[in-house]
Amino acid sequence: MARKDDILKSFLTHELLESKYMLRNEELPTTVREALNSDIPIVKAIALIIEGLEKSPSATDYELRTSILQFLNSAI
Amino acid sequence: MIIKKIQIENFLCYYGLNTFQFEDGLNIILGENNEGKTKFYEAVDWLFNGINNDLENLVSAKKLKEIALEDSFKVSSSLTVEQYNNEYKISRSFTVHKSNNNEIEISNFIFEGQETDSTTGQRIPINGQVLLDRIFPFQIRKYSMFKGETELNVFENEEALANLINLFSDARHLEKYTEKGVFLREKAENAVDQSTKLNQKNQKAYNILESEISQLEKEKERLRIHINSTEEEKTKLEKNIKEAEKYVDNAEALQTINKRIKNIEEKISSLNSKIDESFTTSLFDENWILVNFESFHKEFAEKITGHSKTRRELQSAFDKQKGILEGEKRAKAELLNNAIPLPNNVPSKAVMEEMLDDEICKVCNREAKRGSEPYEFMMKRLKTYLESQVIEDREKDKDEPLFKFDYTYRLDNLTISHEDNLKNLRLIRSKIKDLFEFNDNRKKDVEELKEELEKEIKEREKIIGNARIANEDKLLSIFKNYTAWQEDFRGLNKEFFNLEAKQNEILKQLKLKKEEKDNIDLNSANSFYLKTRDILRNIETIFKETKEKKFDEFIDKLESKSNKYLSQINVEAFTGEIKFTKKKFSGDRIKIDVSLFESGGRYFMPGTAVRTSLNISILLAISELANEVRDETYPMIFDAPTSSFGETKTGDFLNLIYETSNQKIILLKDFIGSYKNPDGSVKELFIKDEFNSIKRKKAFWVKLERPFDKKDLSTINTEVNPL
Repeated sequence: MARKDDILKSFLTHELLESKYMLRNEELPTTVREALNSDIPIVKAIALIIEGLEKSPSATDYELRTSILQFLNSAI
Repeated sequence: MIIKKIQIENFLCYYGLNTFQFEDGLNIILGENNEGKTKFYEAVDWLFNGINNDLENLVSAKKLKEIALEDSFKVSSSLTVEQYNNEYKISRSFTVHKSNNNEIEISNFIFEGQETDSTTGQRIPINGQVLLDRIFPFQIRKYSMFKGETELNVFENEEALANLINLFSDARHLEKYTEKGVFLREKAENAVDQSTKLNQKNQKAYNILESEISQLEKEKERLRIHINSTEEEKTKLEKNIKEAEKYVDNAEALQTINKRIKNIEEKISSLNSKIDESFTTSLFDENWILVNFESFHKEFAEKITGHSKTRRELQSAFDKQKGILEGEKRAKAELLNNAIPLPNNVPSKAVMEEMLDDEICKVCNREAKRGSEPYEFMMKRLKTYLESQVIEDREKDKDEPLFKFDYTYRLDNLTISHEDNLKNLRLIRSKIKDLFEFNDNRKKDVEELKEELEKEIKEREKIIGNARIANEDKLLSIFKNYTAWQEDFRGLNKEFFNLEAKQNEILKQLKLKKEEKDNIDLNSANSFYLKTRDILRNIETIFKETKEKKFDEFIDKLESKSNKYLSQINVEAFTGEIKFTKKKFSGDRIKIDVSLFESGGRYFMPGTAVRTSLNISILLAISELANEVRDETYPMIFDAPTSSFGETKTGDFLNLIYETSNQKIILLKDFIGSYKNPDGSVKELFIKDEFNSIKRKKAFWVKLERPFDKKDLSTINTEVNPL
């Protein structure tokens, strides 16, 4: 498993996703690639951040902010 | 990464080119003290961290002596490693030139790297530092090389361990996420703020709220800084107190024993002052010199008595004689019927002589033949006259006493005086005896006290030794400060709680104000901004807490693995249990405290061997965990890490290390025996049979080429012998 998938997994197992977003573990993606195609805004947002920070060279603050805020503002 | 080879050339005691071929796993280098172990370590350390300074101090004296004037040679330390099937070589070197006037010149200081392509076999030169940092990163090198037991304690600094854990745990990958989480949330908050501000209706209230929140944030930050500095002080004090507690019992005992010692010393001093040995004073002022005077006095008294008697006899005879003369005088007077006699000069001397010549008494006109009574009478008369001419002297003699000065009387008085004093003189002997007895007894007391003192001093040394503080003053000073520190700590704690209470109050107010602001936002800002903000707030929480969770998981694993190693190193020995305590400070700073606890939960201060085991256990645990979380392993080099262990325990330790995964190079002075010359000097060294049972991948014995002159460095050469 790629490191970014490990990172995704460690974030998606946080209890907040279940307590606040009613997301059960089994319905969550296991890879960043899957997560980027998720319909769940918080999951996709996390995947976008991981993708931005783990690529080489990693995304700048501006790129990160633009991509995340634009995605969230339009998706919700 | 595996160190395949280390080559040391003309570096200090390593004359010529010396090669160590290593393997993955445990590599052991044995060597007696001062035979090249530490110089091996120093060569590697110089390779990694050396600078172009004092290089002439690193040159092999033997090589330097051997080469001719105007000749040159190379000094180097190089490392060949294998990483991901590629081979790299890093080398640090310089050239030494021996000039005509026998001075040395250093040149060509080089730190170079070389990469060998695994497929083509091509060698590519690379900057040494760049290559080193790439294949063996600085942060890892820092925790890979340890010289002696004391350097193993890299965890004395609580933050160092936290950094180390951050470096090796999964948490290290998540650090940037927590930063970006905060960044994105702030941007989302800004977007909401801007959106709300577009609504004129709530602008005034919103501005007031923003200003209040900003004020509270500033106050929160001020308090954070204050709390942090108070915490720092508290930590320092806590450390001091904890440190002092290790010694406090000893310090108390030391203080008690110091009092006892002082008492004994005072007693000794008092007794010494009572011992009177001022014999000059006693001899003369107290008449001790007269202790044997009585016999002399007796002799003296007898002589004086005799003398006195003689004097009285003489006086008596003299007085008698004087009495006879007086009697004669009186008898003459009676003969003249008490009539007054004629003067002696009648007839005169001339007449008397004429009458004697003529043998006629011309006073009574009678013949006076020589020999007749009248003639004799005249003769007598002449004599009387002549004698009368010296009458003055005779008169004088008549009143003269027999003895002009009465010394005898004075001698008598002296005898009597001495006699009277004899009573006191007779006491001197007992006085001397008493004083000597008194002095002897006091001296005995002093001796006994001195023995007691010696015992107390030994006891004191034991206490100081047990406290592991060489300096008595320091021990006492710790004790003195202990109470003050406790007092200060109480004060700081109080201050800390007050600050925390203030901070909580500020946070409460901030929460309320932010909720108020959120309410305004809710009614004023675009809903998608609000939703975005909420999601990014949650993402920030997820990132932060996940990182903390990973960190905590790593600490738990580290604790468990460290304890596993601790018990393996100390089979059948009491070690206690390692506990890692995470301390979280304001501003998300984290420190890790490592302590040993007994089963009852009580902290205890381990001895050197257990402390060394503790440090090695954590290092091995970190190394093992690092291997699990990283896709690369790194070697560790230890110079004499187990000096306090003893050979058997070192053997157990090495067999344990053998089972661990990554490469280790361990330098030891154990397992070397020696045959001695009759004078006690070393005849020959040998490797003990016990070393055969030590599991290892590779072993070397570094030893000095013999014979050598211990006063001449140019005879020193360390030989590298593979075992």
